[in-house]
Amino acid sequence: MALGGDRITFWFGCNMLRHAEMIRLSIMLLERVGYNVSAAGGPAYCCGTAHDHQPRGASNMAGRTVARFNEAAEKDGRSTVVTWCPSCHMHMADIMAPGNAAAFDVTHITELLADRVDRLAPLLKVPVKRRVLLHRHIGFATHVPVTDRVLGLLSHVPGLELVEGPAHPGHMCSALAAVPGALTAAVGETWTTAVANHADTVGTIFHSCHRELSALDGNDGVGVRSWVQLVAEAMGIDASDAYLDWRKGGAPDVAAIERADQSKYHALVEPELRKPSPLLAAPRGMAE
Amino acid sequence: MDRRRLDQMADASHFSEMTKLQVARAETTEAFLAQAGPELASLCTACGACFNACPMVDHLGLRGSDPKSATHGMRRLAMGEAGHADTVSWVGACTKSGLCVAACPERTAGLDAMLLIRIAKRRALNDTHQLPAKQDPTYFPRLKIYARLQLSDEELAKWL
Repeated sequence: MALGGDRITFWFGCNMLRHAEMIRLSIMLLERVGYNVSAAGGPAYCCGTAHDHQPRGASNMAGRTVARFNEAAEKDGRSTVVTWCPSCHMHMADIMAPGNAAAFDVTHITELLADRVDRLAPLLKVPVKRRVLLHRHIGFATHVPVTDRVLGLLSHVPGLELVEGPAHPGHMCSALAAVPGALTAAVGETWTTAVANHADTVGTIFHSCHRELSALDGNDGVGVRSWVQLVAEAMGIDASDAYLDWRKGGAPDVAAIERADQSKYHALVEPELRKPSPLLAAPRGMAE
Repeated sequence: MDRRRLDQMADASHFSEMTKLQVARAETTEAFLAQAGPELASLCTACGACFNACPMVDHLGLRGSDPKSATHGMRRLAMGEAGHADTVSWVGACTKSGLCVAACPERTAGLDAMLLIRIAKRRALNDTHQLPAKQDPTYFPRLKIYARLQLSDEELAKWL
């Protein structure tokens, strides 16, 4: 193993800001297996991959983010950057580092947890009586065997039963959204396979898949849970999921909306939460 | 899923894999991409293997198209020259499945097919303007609202 030490930067990316509980659970899991974690993410740590149409701006964002991680490595001894998002991870490996000298190594959270599964497994004591179909994609295996890593971690969860499901194109659901029919096909196939195999839970690996599947939670008696939530349940932690609740018709409390800026909430966030899911509009499984 | 397979996964010794970062070859990512496009394109033989391996080809209805023509066009795009409409449609639909990487016979020569296709896509966006730029000025503001809805003051200060 080539890790430079136990002091790490957990780079959770931009879009994980929709899922604060998953960030906190990820930090908690890393800390429980012995890492000293400093978390970083959001626009100030953008990798630039979502800004391909602005090459100069994307390049500047990438340079700024690498510089911040270099500073964390040099001044705070955090010479390992741990990713959650496959887009960030691939962008760092393939484009950011070749264009900016990096003083750190990069690995994925599932690799670190798998590496210390001997410390994690004894903490998983509470049976999680779920029959789980793991929603997965074929991409990102070029960099990290993430599906095997997550399946390996979930295999230590007592009571949890895994059922086979299809692997979909792309590295996560957001990549498929721009290709007509691709997203609906992938999510529809996951759901119909889960129902056909009597799964009661669809497990997600990445945030964008979780975001898409959240709207289906509870349909056909099937719930949606992230892999970190499933591991947390086995530790006796009943992980809440605000985004999922909001996507299904709930809303943040008034104080939180006022703190965030009520007008911006109504203009920018509410339309996303109330947007009808195309997966519910079409007969499931048929995905165009 | 076969429980034995899961047990094998659970029992297998595991050593954390780091993604080995490349040594920087340029001063910025923009400069790197400008340099890497022609370099990777020069390694490409336009054999069509990446096109054949790509699952998006089916979604786009391009499975009957000539793979060599598509990859020849992709190579041109990566060098900043206009490509055929089918080629533009194909590279524009890259979802990073990564099957092209292993399918490429020039991989051992240093050709990262997925990176070449990504560069071709960027060129089609910014140089040949054959793909429309999808600008969303609300992208970061929306994320900041999500952050303020959920993160404590301390988390906002430390993480962002």
